[in-house]
Amino acid sequence: MVTAMKALQVNNVMKSFGGLMAVKGVSFDVDSGQVLGLLGPNGSGKSTLMKIIVGIMKPDSGSILVQGVNVAEDPITVKRMVGFVPESPRLYEFLTGNEYLDFVADVHGLEASVKQERITEFLKALDLEGRENELIHGYSQGMKQKLAIIAGLLHRPQILVLDEPLNALDPRSARITKDLIHKLRDGGIPTIFSTHVLEIADAICDRIVIMYDGKVLEEGTSTELRAKGGTSGSTLEEVFLKLTGTSDTREIVEALTR
Amino acid sequence: MKIRTVYKLALVLTRSQIRGTQRNKTLARIFGEPRTIIIVDLVLLIALGVVGYSLLLRSPALLREAIAGMEASALAGVPVGIASAVILFGVLYEISQPIQSLSTDVVNWLPISPTEYVAGSIISESYIYSFMLSLSLGLLLGPALIFGMGQVWLAAALMATLALIIGSCVVEVLDALTNRISSSFYKKSGRSGMFVRLVLTIIILVFVQLLFSGQIIGYLLQSVIQTVRLAWFVPLVWPSVAVLGASQGSGYTFLAFASLSVVFTLALFEVATNFRARFWVPVPVAIRLSAQTYHAPRIRLQVPWVGLGESAILRKDMRSLTRRREMARFLAIPFVLAVSLGLSFSPLGSESIADTPGLLATVPIYLLPVAIFVGLLSMTSIGQEGYAVWNLYAAPIKPSNLLRAKMLFAAALGLLFVVGLLAVFSLLLKPLATYFWVLLALGIAVVFEESAIGICFGARFPDFREMVRSRYVSVWGSLLGMLVGISSAMLTASPIIISVMRYHSILPQLAALSFIFAFAVFVVASKLANSQIKLLLQNIRT
Repeated sequence: MVTAMKALQVNNVMKSFGGLMAVKGVSFDVDSGQVLGLLGPNGSGKSTLMKIIVGIMKPDSGSILVQGVNVAEDPITVKRMVGFVPESPRLYEFLTGNEYLDFVADVHGLEASVKQERITEFLKALDLEGRENELIHGYSQGMKQKLAIIAGLLHRPQILVLDEPLNALDPRSARITKDLIHKLRDGGIPTIFSTHVLEIADAICDRIVIMYDGKVLEEGTSTELRAKGGTSGSTLEEVFLKLTGTSDTREIVEALTR
Repeated sequence: MKIRTVYKLALVLTRSQIRGTQRNKTLARIFGEPRTIIIVDLVLLIALGVVGYSLLLRSPALLREAIAGMEASALAGVPVGIASAVILFGVLYEISQPIQSLSTDVVNWLPISPTEYVAGSIISESYIYSFMLSLSLGLLLGPALIFGMGQVWLAAALMATLALIIGSCVVEVLDALTNRISSSFYKKSGRSGMFVRLVLTIIILVFVQLLFSGQIIGYLLQSVIQTVRLAWFVPLVWPSVAVLGASQGSGYTFLAFASLSVVFTLALFEVATNFRARFWVPVPVAIRLSAQTYHAPRIRLQVPWVGLGESAILRKDMRSLTRRREMARFLAIPFVLAVSLGLSFSPLGSESIADTPGLLATVPIYLLPVAIFVGLLSMTSIGQEGYAVWNLYAAPIKPSNLLRAKMLFAAALGLLFVVGLLAVFSLLLKPLATYFWVLLALGIAVVFEESAIGICFGARFPDFREMVRSRYVSVWGSLLGMLVGISSAMLTASPIIISVMRYHSILPQLAALSFIFAFAVFVVASKLANSQIKLLLQNIRT
């Protein structure tokens, strides 16, 4: 029997920094046209895992296959296929928005006519039109985030890896980004998406992986997770807090307002 | 004004400036405490005083006489020297701040009044530059005690402290003013504003380099008293005029100019407070570089082995060099070297035409600046990516693409430098004109050799931290890289030097040896650089 190739396979990945184990044997996979939400509190290893997936960080052990290509063996091919938006992206502040996108397009080898069309389209869609000739240094955090999202999508990636992509975005741009993810999913493009906003994960992710302390705590659809948490009538937030053992929020608020 | 707020603010500003510039964490922690700074200053002052005193007691009478003659002038020169140095260092600090750290004062949104901010900032500046006070006064303490000038020394100490505060006030005024002027200027003028800033920064850097040259310092020391006497009406020299009065036994002059200095300090504080309140721009301005809509360039410079990715990185690096003010120091290097070498070849620097170096000395004198300039450019080309380096990690570029782009960047600027330098030297030195083409080829060979060596060390020891006076390459990396680079350049030149030594001319066979050596070094260094970049791109370090 021939099984369909997974868009992304993460197999027992481990990564440590000195004595700190950031990722402890994480495994999961993503199908084509699927949006996978990566949830977890700060420091749970989500960003490290995303950097390993896109090939900018080497795992200590384990393997990652993107569209069947091993990241460790052929990182360049993987980078050509992936659209990556890091958490709080640092851009080249001495370039203008236009110059930055032109740089990214050239690095991905886009033809002049293609990049002209796409850059103009994206700038217009994400309301950066009119500001594209200003130095990035003067951009707000939201504008920088929009630019990073455009840069991640410019080369029409085969898989999207987005680390907190809706950070600092205005409601309109956040909506456009969410719709874009849906549109790409409909076209078969899978997305891995990390967020702290559980309502967003609930609304746009087909599957959710909850990470805690470098490990996968639970995995499944939003409905499955509610059932696993034994709280089928409750919100994803309640499930998350219960699973990660951080449900003592009421006591904390009491102490803070005392 | 809340004294506690001022004190806390001074503490925070001192810590942030010291931790922002000091790479050694232990030293940064120790010197980030004002209490430690004061203790170190006092120890330095007393130690220098004691050492100076005991050394002078044992020194020959002739030397003591000479020092006695200079002591009063030196004491009078301390206040004006300290005020000028604080202003100069303050301006340099402002220039070397990376673009990312501008206008990010958290105090802009904290409940701190402009008076409290200015007072805190002045105290912080005074803490940081207080070592100048203890150094200069410590050196002059021993002679002052021996020559019975204790009172003049006390007057100098008092006025120098006031001068330190005056200097800090001026820096505050300049900070607020330049912030507003540059913000308005860039907003209006865009690209041309950035060009003007670049030129001004280079001029300031060249000026500072020249100011610290031995000849100029000697001249300034000789003429300090004359300058103070002539410029008594300039408020910045009032503390020095007061000390001069004390040294001449004129109590009235001391009192008058000391009072004027205090009034001037208070007035400056008031101006700094007003400027801070009125002119400070808390948010970065939007600098528009063009009004055109985006048009993807369709015509490209077709260079063999240079693809789209390489030329994109090259263009980005060129923009970085001309737009980031912290990069201006690299562009200033050729000018500093040209002026310094020009001074040493000029009639001012040499006694007669016979002092002009011959071909033997000229070859290293010509190659050394080339090796230093290209070596520095290539070594720093990786680290200057800063935290934005993730863009390169995430991009589908091979190590060889990055190597070629960075090498082209250093080599292109290096070739321009070689041509310019050789043209200037040929006018000044006859031997260079005779062997122009051989030396041009040698320069080109050294440019490529140094760019490969520099990238090799830059990729092995990168420093991506974005801090004031970013180095872009670790201390060891830069030392080793420079050592290897300069040695390699000199080895390349050695067959030509041997040829000149033995045959008084450049033999083609020996010149060919130089080029073969340079080519071999280039090939080996390129391979090593490529493997270093490959290792670097495997694991993001920021």
